[in-house]
Amino acid sequence: MRSHIQTATVLPWILAMCFTAVLTAHHSTSEFDYTRQVTIKGIVKEVQWTNPHSYIQLMVDGKGGEKIQWSVEIGSPSLNINMGWRKTSVKAGDVVTMNIAPARNGKPYGTLRVLTFADGQKLDGVAARVGARPGGGAPAPPGAAAPTAPKEP
Amino acid sequence: MRLHRFALLLCVSALVAGASATAGQIGASAAGAEALLGIWVPDTAPRALLTSTGKTPPLTAKASKLYTERRQRFAKGDTSFDPTSWCAGPGMPRILTMRYPVEIRADANRIAFIHGWYRWFRVVDLGAGTPDPPLPLTMGFPVGHWEGSTLVIRTAGLIDTTVMDASGLPHSERLTLTERLRVLPDRRLEDRITINDPENYTQAWETVLTFHRDAAARVTDDVCPDRMARGEPAEQVPVGRTTAPRTTSVSSRTAAPAAANGAAPAPRLAGVWEPKTFGIMVPNAPLSSAGQEIVSRNAAAMQAGKIMQTAWVACRPGAVSTMTMPREKIVILESPDEVTILFEMPRMVRRIRMNASHPQELEPGYVGDSVGHWEGNTLVVDTLGFNGYAELDARGQPTSPRLHTVERFTPSGDGSIDIETRIEDSDYYTQPFSIQRSWKKSAARHPFEYDCMENPRQEDFENAYYVRERYRPVCMRVEGEGMALSRMVCRRPE
Repeated sequence: MRSHIQTATVLPWILAMCFTAVLTAHHSTSEFDYTRQVTIKGIVKEVQWTNPHSYIQLMVDGKGGEKIQWSVEIGSPSLNINMGWRKTSVKAGDVVTMNIAPARNGKPYGTLRVLTFADGQKLDGVAARVGARPGGGAPAPPGAAAPTAPKEP
Repeated sequence: MRLHRFALLLCVSALVAGASATAGQIGASAAGAEALLGIWVPDTAPRALLTSTGKTPPLTAKASKLYTERRQRFAKGDTSFDPTSWCAGPGMPRILTMRYPVEIRADANRIAFIHGWYRWFRVVDLGAGTPDPPLPLTMGFPVGHWEGSTLVIRTAGLIDTTVMDASGLPHSERLTLTERLRVLPDRRLEDRITINDPENYTQAWETVLTFHRDAAARVTDDVCPDRMARGEPAEQVPVGRTTAPRTTSVSSRTAAPAAANGAAPAPRLAGVWEPKTFGIMVPNAPLSSAGQEIVSRNAAAMQAGKIMQTAWVACRPGAVSTMTMPREKIVILESPDEVTILFEMPRMVRRIRMNASHPQELEPGYVGDSVGHWEGNTLVVDTLGFNGYAELDARGQPTSPRLHTVERFTPSGDGSIDIETRIEDSDYYTQPFSIQRSWKKSAARHPFEYDCMENPRQEDFENAYYVRERYRPVCMRVEGEGMALSRMVCRRPE
């Protein structure tokens, strides 16, 4: 039991460190829960190809039919270029499914693991390399999840 | 003085050799390069660019409507269309119209423009070829060549969220610039710029900016968020005055001496480099009880899910953080009197004065005062004068103004640079300790750039833990609805 508590206390720290070590992210990533996976589908409202982080604003249908705007962090421009993205890889109006690590605060906010286009093509997000599994688990070794081929602009 | 001139001539000769100039051009290029070096102050820093014949640029109808609307807002003091108003990147040619000096430095293969506003720089690659931008940047991807004594720079890959002048002159990402720089007979510097952007202009057009030398001008370690925190505007300094006098840089207060023996060695460190080994942790640092208390506090905040805001996360430079946490690319320019290191992340320029001494009185700053000398094949750099606003690693291990670093840059057999850094700071560490880092040659012609203040988001700030109160922003954009609908919210520190 004691061992379990220590692991629970230290795990977010380890995850954040591993993530940062692999990606040299702008800041610590302890705001996201890498032990969870959330999948959302919707229409891209806007792509913010910006520093220190880039974002996709995704309009998703809520349970009551209302539109919910999700903000999904997708790394930084230079990092995404190195992972095979281009600025025009995702455009406003695209219908996409996003697998994300959600924010701990419960808001419609997260960091991208994998984006899937309507035609099945995929783009890996920065969190793909953390490698958390459904239901939690230790991160995969650095580089274990190689980026898939980017969708051409 | 003779030694200094000799060293300068060697530097300029090397510059020409790397510029792919033909034999017949070498003499003219050398003269042109020598004439360009040094600090320049804008003659007018125009708020609105005009064509070289004094006319309004040939805007398309749509662009003209946008520009008119922005000029009306500008006249009322609303500059929110200009990213510099929240300390984000100015872009080109906007930065050339700012009321700050620019220093031109060069080595064999590159010419660097080091601007006085918030540590922006651009590095002009003098190799053959055309710009090949993989992503749009604030300063784009400039490549240059000599035509006689005129430096011609072509730039593409300019991000479209910047404006071309303070009044909001628009451009798209199809913008290309062709600059022709030369020193006029009256000794002023002329930058004649051809602007081509078919999305916003009915034809290519030309504008001319001129600069003069001012012995009092300095390019200092300007930090825009700190000025904003003091309630000062993002762009403030009248033309011709020393930049940001309240943040005088220790690195530019003393004249750079000539090389000790007058002989300019072959460059050993010049080029574009990237980290060979990443290191974001400094393990086993001998923390004092005061240092351990801070680290424990930081750890508790992170374990509570907070975003830890350290100096570099909060868009401050920090020489020591790049010694311990190599990130992204750096460019090194090497001349007998100075080794200049330009950092992509955090954006920063370090000036290492060779064979010099620290001034007796040091004004603390983020990059400190660096002096260097060669010991055989090793460059030894001694740095003092830090301000204590820097963290050593991702755990936020602290530093104080007592920080003293000694770096030893040694080129290794495989083409890398090995750097051993000795860190001494008796406020937070019980004894000096050393770390090792390595950089490798990059195949890139340009570094990317890191515009840290470009798009700060509400999510980042509402869940933040500020390691130092100075890092708390006083001006931020609220992005709840995305950039297009965002608005600026500026407030004074409480």
